[in-house]
Amino acid sequence: MNNSAAGTSSGSGDVSAPRRNSNRPKYSRFTQQELPACKPILTPRWVISVFTLIGVIFIPIGIAALRASTNVVEIVKRYDADCIPGNNTKAYKVAYIQDKNIDKTCNITLRVPKDMDPPIYVYYQLDNFYQNHRRYVKSRNDAQLKDRGKANDTSGCDPEDASNGSPIVPCGLIAWSLFNDTYNFSIGNQNLTVNKRGISWKSDRDHKFGNDVFPRNFQNGTLIGGASLDENTPLSQQEDLIVWMRTAALPTFRKSYGKIEQNLRENDTITVTIKNNYNTYSFSGKKKLVLSTSSWLGGKNDFIGITYLTIGGLCFFLAIAFTGVYLVKPRKLGDPSYLSWNRNPSGR
Amino acid sequence: MMNSMSVPSKRSTLERKLDKLILTLFGGLFFMCLIGAIGSGVFINRKYYYLGLFEDVEQQFNPSNRFVVSILTMFTLITLYSTIIPISLYVSIEMIKFIQCAQFINKDLRMYHAETNTPALARTSNLNEELGQVEYIFSDKTGTLTRNLMEFFKCSIGGVSYGVGITEIERGQAQREGRALNEIQKSDTVVYEKGFNFDDDRIMRGAWRNERDPEIFKEFFRCLALCHTVLPEGDESPEKIVYQAASPDEAALVTAAKHFGFFFYRRTPTTVQLRESHVEKMGNIQDVSYEILNVLEFNSTRKRQSVVCRYPNGRLVLYCKGADNVIYERLAGTNQDIKRLTREHLEQFGSSGLRTLCLAYRDLTIDTYENWNEKFVQAKSSLRDREKKLDEVAEMIEKDLILIGSTAIEDKLQEGVPDCIDTLSRAGIKIWVLTGDKMETAINIAYACNLINNDMKQLIITSETDAIREAEEKGDPVEISRVIRDSVSHDLKRCLEEAQQDLHIFGQKLALVIDGKCLMYALDPSFRVDLLKLSLNCSSVVCCRVSPLQKAQVTSLVKKGARRITLSIGDGANDVSMIQAAHVGVGISGLEGMQAVMASDFAIAQFRFLKDLLLVHGRWSYIRLCKVITYFFYKNLTFTLTQFWFTFHTGFSGQRFYDDWFQSLYNVIFTALPVIILGLFDKDVSASLAKKYPQLYKEGIRNTYFKWAVVGVWAFFAFYQSLIFYYFTTTASENGHNSSGKIFGLWDVSTMAFTCVVITVNLRLLMACNSITRWHHLSISGSILAWFVFIFIYSGVMTPNDRQENVYFTIYVLMSTFYFYLTLLLVPIVALFGDFLYLGLQRWFFPYNYQIVQEIHRDEVDSISRTEFLEIGNHLTPDEARSYAIAQLPREKSKHTGFAFDSPGYESFFASQAGVYVPQKAWDVARRASVRSSKRTSQR
Repeated sequence: MNNSAAGTSSGSGDVSAPRRNSNRPKYSRFTQQELPACKPILTPRWVISVFTLIGVIFIPIGIAALRASTNVVEIVKRYDADCIPGNNTKAYKVAYIQDKNIDKTCNITLRVPKDMDPPIYVYYQLDNFYQNHRRYVKSRNDAQLKDRGKANDTSGCDPEDASNGSPIVPCGLIAWSLFNDTYNFSIGNQNLTVNKRGISWKSDRDHKFGNDVFPRNFQNGTLIGGASLDENTPLSQQEDLIVWMRTAALPTFRKSYGKIEQNLRENDTITVTIKNNYNTYSFSGKKKLVLSTSSWLGGKNDFIGITYLTIGGLCFFLAIAFTGVYLVKPRKLGDPSYLSWNRNPSGR
Repeated sequence: MMNSMSVPSKRSTLERKLDKLILTLFGGLFFMCLIGAIGSGVFINRKYYYLGLFEDVEQQFNPSNRFVVSILTMFTLITLYSTIIPISLYVSIEMIKFIQCAQFINKDLRMYHAETNTPALARTSNLNEELGQVEYIFSDKTGTLTRNLMEFFKCSIGGVSYGVGITEIERGQAQREGRALNEIQKSDTVVYEKGFNFDDDRIMRGAWRNERDPEIFKEFFRCLALCHTVLPEGDESPEKIVYQAASPDEAALVTAAKHFGFFFYRRTPTTVQLRESHVEKMGNIQDVSYEILNVLEFNSTRKRQSVVCRYPNGRLVLYCKGADNVIYERLAGTNQDIKRLTREHLEQFGSSGLRTLCLAYRDLTIDTYENWNEKFVQAKSSLRDREKKLDEVAEMIEKDLILIGSTAIEDKLQEGVPDCIDTLSRAGIKIWVLTGDKMETAINIAYACNLINNDMKQLIITSETDAIREAEEKGDPVEISRVIRDSVSHDLKRCLEEAQQDLHIFGQKLALVIDGKCLMYALDPSFRVDLLKLSLNCSSVVCCRVSPLQKAQVTSLVKKGARRITLSIGDGANDVSMIQAAHVGVGISGLEGMQAVMASDFAIAQFRFLKDLLLVHGRWSYIRLCKVITYFFYKNLTFTLTQFWFTFHTGFSGQRFYDDWFQSLYNVIFTALPVIILGLFDKDVSASLAKKYPQLYKEGIRNTYFKWAVVGVWAFFAFYQSLIFYYFTTTASENGHNSSGKIFGLWDVSTMAFTCVVITVNLRLLMACNSITRWHHLSISGSILAWFVFIFIYSGVMTPNDRQENVYFTIYVLMSTFYFYLTLLLVPIVALFGDFLYLGLQRWFFPYNYQIVQEIHRDEVDSISRTEFLEIGNHLTPDEARSYAIAQLPREKSKHTGFAFDSPGYESFFASQAGVYVPQKAWDVARRASVRSSKRTSQR
């Protein structure tokens, strides 16, 4: 490369020797704006092929996703209204739920629509609950959760930072409002065990919640927000708390409750004994119990499959429609008569 | 100085429009915040007990004072949505513009002038894109359109036309009509000299003696050699002599005579001495002394000049040269053939853009002469009305003339000017010539540069009418101004009526010619509207005899009155105010002084480079900047709107959807570079095509790419895409996302949404590109990669300073699910689906012109100009060598211009020769000033 350049320049050197101190800019593809480039032109053929390609890719994915979703068996049961006796006013419901002396046990039955293979995941679903509210999201202290030595670090946890003069571990509104309904499942007389281990993301257990941090001074205040925690279990094993503290994105959300590692047969009737403790009545939130199997794509989720199919189908349709238009009334590529000054000679 | 103006600072129109867009965005920001603020005031309630809204809650969330909640939330939301304002846009634009100037304009080899060794120079980086929207060009004449170089080019002698040269305009016409010109190769023996560019084997080197009537040739050459007021200087040899003339035309004529063998070498107070060769016999040289008896000088009413001279053999002859109509009136009634043929030739020369003069003579008898001379001496010695009397006396002898022929002098245009003007006018640019020269000269040059042609109707508003002249003779200033005013008002009305009629009924093109004196009144506020209306209807406008200040006034008339984008181009100090007044000022660098360049925004060496500057650089800059701006607008709007939709689901609390760092780095890293690459490298059509299809430039004039409609389309798609991003990523978030049934939290969803946004926005840029270089690939894939690298590190590392480890491990959590990958494929494609469909349909059914041009030339490989440039560097063609040699010659001392007989300073020149003081005109002073300073700079 170097050699050849030197060779040519010496060959023509006599002729091109600068006559004088030249201001002539040096040639470079950059400054002359002649960088090699590909110039895609979105021709009808391109449009049609792209649409076809998207269709070809999307429809199989859509079918696969939809199949995965339809294979999932899901039971959803709303129980917040059923577990309050009578059909009463909101004020009554709030008073009822806040009364500590009432036993709030309530039984509901679920019918299994289809065979469900283990693991069957148990979720609770809350509605109109703003876990993503700014005041709520920031009301926690990650250092305190992770590090035993930082138990006194409750900054950001206001108003649930301390009670009775000493700091709360875990502090903040999120932990304070921990969900405290409990479910017991049984088929006939046989109890179904709910495994509550491994319902949270591993990274949360291992890195965000310390295994030497224990709850302290929790739910000791005048106002009880939700569940209390076992003071002898380290936070990293309090999976209900860990799940709860991974705040949800939308005001309607599901949280893992546990897994049932047992087959459920079609038409089995499950009796659920609910301790209906959690107050969603003040803000008219719904509570639902969800039992669901899982596929490679997760829980029941028709949305993604349907979208893939819709888009794939739409692209196919457009590809066909455009091909039709293209065949019936093609636009000749690069037809100079399309130039505005040719269409309208006066040029205005 | 009277003609100077304060230096304005210039901002481009596009930037001003950008300000409006930014203001609109501020409006949008306020509106969004207002909605959020109202929402937050309504939402906040103690019933959400988990928010801990007890007794002494901070004011931001205190339900008992909803108004304060709203106000405070407003401020929170302003910071949250502030990403809608593209702050980094200004920085990016500045960077792009700077590189465009420093690397592209300054280093363009197409705008490098080898002869003067001058590259183009962008003196400001503010106005690149303004160059792409110019609709009016105001051009100076001398030194800008022309080289201020007169060359004897053709002649007609005794009814036969001589001269084989072809003018630029003829060449241009032939090109347009697709005719091939059989250009005769000039023989090697042809001498090149300044002022002489003539060759015809029939008369050169004494060959004229073999023509049909050699006598008339002698008269022609003697007329050239005798009838003038030139002073020879220096050595009395044909090679070294220097002619001092009031105007370059005269010098050109005398030089021509020299080459024909009638070498004028000495002038004494009473004689003119010629060295005549080949006259009686080939190869024979003899010195002849002619006695000059009278000189009847030129003035603007006479339009002719005569000398009475006595041959050594006693023959008395009056030689006269002048404007054709003046001479024809005074011809003897004989020899109709020559008259007819010469008239035809005159018309030919005129339409080729040459300046013509008629030559005639008259033999006098001694009696007639003596009689007349008495009257002449009387008139000359009279004290009152001497000039008038002299004119009357001259009239008595300048009659019964015999026509010899005519000369045609080329006011040498700069190279490529007619072609450039033609291209620019096809690009929809209107070119106005503003010159200090006289009307005839200006019209002539307008013809020569193709601004006016015979198909156009000329509307002339002039002060050279009888009524005005009469008033001026009376000398009452009030009366003069009233008369001129009336006539201007009358003319304007008449022209406007004619214009309306011709333009709309006959579709004829119009040309307006107006002179400085009339312009002074026409620029008066009461006529200004009419003038503007009239001139905007004309395809070309020529203003002659205008002062520098008037040049600026005309420029700002169009700039402010018509709100069009104007460009002024000039080379001298008298153009400075015009250059400053226009939106874009261009200076011709190289020869005349530096004032114009110092005042300009761009400096180029040749007028023809304007074509590259506007059609290539300007157009590209404009299109690129439009794309950059609209793209910036789009990407910030999309990003902010996702945040906005989230606000509705957070109880209007102002919770961030994205992590702080995502939000701050979005503009700085993840989407910054590709748009700069777009601003630098995007090319819809190549430079040669941009010049081949100048009509493409009209899109810039109409501001096609930065209209509210365009912004609206982008806004619509930003809106659509943001909805897709937000809803597609959040919709399924209440359900399990992997086979072990685990659920995403807020930060998982937001990381996923952000990933989709970054990918989509970068891909959208790729869709907006017309040409994709490897820099595009690098920057776009680099940006997407940068996001992943960033998130891998950022979410993988626990930092002690980060209090909320929101995004800790989110990307790894996401990447452990199939759901993430499916979303990553789905969301960008759905988001870009709309844009793609729009682009496809738009191109298919409503293609832009540039898209058609792209299609016409889709199979052509971009020609690489490298070889072409190398050749230019190595060899000089004879023509180039010649013009280089001419450029190197010392410039003429006198800067007077124009028609051989009517240069503005002519009278004062001879007056000063005669020792009489005549005040100079303002434009002479200005031009002289620039000449002087140019000398000073060259000495330095």
